[in-house]
Amino acid sequence: MSALIHVRGLGVRFQFDRQGRPVTPAAARIRRHCTSAWGLRGVELEIAPGECVALVGPNGAGKTTLLRAIAGVLAADEGSVEVQGRLGPLLSVEAGLVRLLTGRESCRLLCAMAGLPRGRVRTLLPELQAESGLAEAFDRPVSSYSQGMRARLGFTAIAYTEPEILLLDEVHEALDLEFRELLEARVRRIARDGGIVVAAGHDHEELERLASRAVLLEGGSVSADGHFAKVARAYFDGVEAATA
Amino acid sequence: MPRLTFAGHLEVLLALTEADLRARYGRGPWRFAKWLLDPFALVGVYLVLVAVLLNRPGPAPGLSLACAVVPFQLLMATVISSMASIDDRRSIVANMAFPRILIPVAATLTEAIAFAASLLLLVIMMAIYGVGPTGALVWLPLVLIVNILLAAAVAYPASLAGLWVRDLRPFLVSFVRTLFFLAPGLVALDQIHGAAHDLIRLNPLAGVFESYRAVFLHGVTPATWQLVYPMAVAVAVAAVFVPIYRREQHYLAKVVG
Repeated sequence: MSALIHVRGLGVRFQFDRQGRPVTPAAARIRRHCTSAWGLRGVELEIAPGECVALVGPNGAGKTTLLRAIAGVLAADEGSVEVQGRLGPLLSVEAGLVRLLTGRESCRLLCAMAGLPRGRVRTLLPELQAESGLAEAFDRPVSSYSQGMRARLGFTAIAYTEPEILLLDEVHEALDLEFRELLEARVRRIARDGGIVVAAGHDHEELERLASRAVLLEGGSVSADGHFAKVARAYFDGVEAATA
Repeated sequence: MPRLTFAGHLEVLLALTEADLRARYGRGPWRFAKWLLDPFALVGVYLVLVAVLLNRPGPAPGLSLACAVVPFQLLMATVISSMASIDDRRSIVANMAFPRILIPVAATLTEAIAFAASLLLLVIMMAIYGVGPTGALVWLPLVLIVNILLAAAVAYPASLAGLWVRDLRPFLVSFVRTLFFLAPGLVALDQIHGAAHDLIRLNPLAGVFESYRAVFLHGVTPATWQLVYPMAVAVAVAAVFVPIYRREQHYLAKVVG
């Protein structure tokens, strides 16, 4: 496997109606008094095969937006995102989970969305149930799950799609210790096989275990990129200076 | 967005529809009963009331009304479901890359499966009025296809409207309901005379309702216009709104994310 992520001058813009609700560009054209704000602007990023990168920064800095743009969920309004490799996006604890469905049904939906044929998913379900550790809760509606159980379910389903690029947005932070170890093992395997892992979050200890490189996002653009410890230091220095 | 083959699109479409049906009908032995009884809860009681209690003109008035109410129910349910289809799938739309163009089709497919149970209402009405099946039933598959295609075509503007003008959803539902009354719904087309007769035929629902009456009530082949005109309207609506939806699908996650 030889995964690649190349982000060139990426800009993602959000448009809002006069009540502050997000609207599509077409809706913005037919409505008056729309405003806009850039969630990301001028982002340059290249991630090579075998790299694990942490996205750090304050809330609203653009971490989730960048992950969603890489996942192909958000379209670029400026610049481009080039991705090579099969994506495994875990962009929220709720990602792909429908509250009325059971864990088993959600797994079917998640795996089908990720490109696994439904026939294959059906044969994998007993394994998925065992791997998720959800036991009989696997057949209960997702609405009865805790955040951690949802994270387990999502991670297990996505892991079965054999992603070459794993995108994590704070999902790892909802996992218990046992599952964090499984996640770390999976991350190491993906990197060893030439894949890529990009993880965003606020648990820097966990992020440092997953990634050796960090990218600091502030105000929708990259303000530092390099070794994890160095970038994290820059982030903390900035926070201290702002609160001093 | 991953490039999917036709089979891949079909897999995603079926997965979305299956998820919708599970969420609606649940699981276990009662789901079939719920599927079967839902149409009765929606319109069955009303139809039985009309058939048994009210004295209305024309042959088999309850069956005639059912020939309008049942196909209209598919259109109405598809419009309502499509308007909420993107919000209802928020957790998928905001977090996963997949061909979102399939969302309105999945909404239509779900409603079409739900609609299949309401065909039983027509059978019950036939039994109440002693109207036997005829050879005209061979046209039923084509009549159903036209009905479903019209619903699928309308699902695209409905989805966009649900996104663009959320506050106006109740008005849009009322507008679609008005189309029922501007079609030969309560009264069959052959009982409407003068300019109104010709004007009402412009409503694509007129052809759909009359083709159901032809097959179930009169036992004759539907007139060509009854099938071709609604089909042409469906193609025209799809030709306008599918390309717009295709462009908008890239921005759905921004709106519901």
